[in-house]
Amino acid sequence: MNAPLNRTKRNLTVAKAMAEALAQEMRRDPSVLVMGEDIGRLGGVFGNTRGLFEEFGAARVRDTPISETAFIGAAVGMACVGMKPVVELMFVDFFGVCMDAIYNLAAKNCYFSGGQSPVPMVLMTSTGGGYGDAGQHSQCLYGTFAHLPGMKVVVPSNAYDAKGLMLSAIRDPNPVVYMFHKALQGMGWLGTVKGAINDVPEDDYVVPIGKAAIARPGRDVTLVGLGATVHHALDAAEELAKEGIDAEVIDLRSLVPLDRETVLASVRKTGRLVVADDDYRSFGVSGEIIALAGESAFAALKAAPARVAFPDIPIPFSPALERPLLPDGAKIAAAARAACGKA
Amino acid sequence: MSTPVPVPRDLWEEDLPGIVSAWLFEDGDTVSEGDLIAELMVEKTSYDLTAPKAGRLRILVQPEIPFQRGDVIASIE
Repeated sequence: MNAPLNRTKRNLTVAKAMAEALAQEMRRDPSVLVMGEDIGRLGGVFGNTRGLFEEFGAARVRDTPISETAFIGAAVGMACVGMKPVVELMFVDFFGVCMDAIYNLAAKNCYFSGGQSPVPMVLMTSTGGGYGDAGQHSQCLYGTFAHLPGMKVVVPSNAYDAKGLMLSAIRDPNPVVYMFHKALQGMGWLGTVKGAINDVPEDDYVVPIGKAAIARPGRDVTLVGLGATVHHALDAAEELAKEGIDAEVIDLRSLVPLDRETVLASVRKTGRLVVADDDYRSFGVSGEIIALAGESAFAALKAAPARVAFPDIPIPFSPALERPLLPDGAKIAAAARAACGKA
Repeated sequence: MSTPVPVPRDLWEEDLPGIVSAWLFEDGDTVSEGDLIAELMVEKTSYDLTAPKAGRLRILVQPEIPFQRGDVIASIE
């Protein structure tokens, strides 16, 4: 986050930071192109491709028909012959119709060809709910994608990381699944988390894939989050600080590769772990992080690790039903208090 | 002297209310002329609002509060 001193602060939304990264890399590398539904003239329903169509034209910024099966398959083929497509799956919930192209083709082609045919594509896709868009437009599915080998998976929580991770993702020779949370985009109708808007350098810079960030240092309990739950964990840390509990907040940033060392170093220091994930509770990222602590930092644990996640049910449409089920600062703080024996 | 920052009357075409989806500076921050200070949202389309001059930003309309084209939503001192 250390910006050069000779430049002024420039706050951007995640949407703008993503669009800027795409534009800069398209200027630098003519093999980069963007495809998806409404990513051209409209600029993306989440604002993350705004301005690209006007600058680069219809050949490099391609509005596609509503057939993820076809256009994500096409992106895999483009990547196999040396182009660098960034393809948008508008809502991650739609992965069902294109998963064969993703996990059987993109993820495996490099292995099957003995490294002769890598697939340098980026699949960018929106995640998360909280704005009453029901069970087919509100899922996170982080664990679903992170579970499958052959793809990298990144989840930015703020604009600075969104730009730096996008540049890393496009330059990576492997398929990278870039999962951006709708509540962090800075689009009013999706709810806007203020902490996601931060200072973004105009320069070219990368945030390395596979490096977590310590969003807030602390001594007493480790709170691990990704995407939106990083901000909930920071809210929790602020509450806990008033009660004398000093929480450390870790922003995973990448799921594959997972920065195990940063998580373990924190757990070894604090001895307590709470994982916050708005994906489904079972068989997901929260369980993976807790297993990591159990396998590799067991002796350091002073309390049973805990998780705050979405229950294992389809996400309700009604805000009155959805909101109480989502992770938030209060739930994370309660879990942290319990871990510290102060419940 | 305070300069009002109105939403340009021609920023979008139809007579629809807009909202600020994100202020990109805090109230009281110093801004330069041309800085992107806010993103506005009408239906599902977003628009940029830039600072008409340098100075100290005063935010008059918080996010999610509807306004019409031409309304003053900030001032610069």
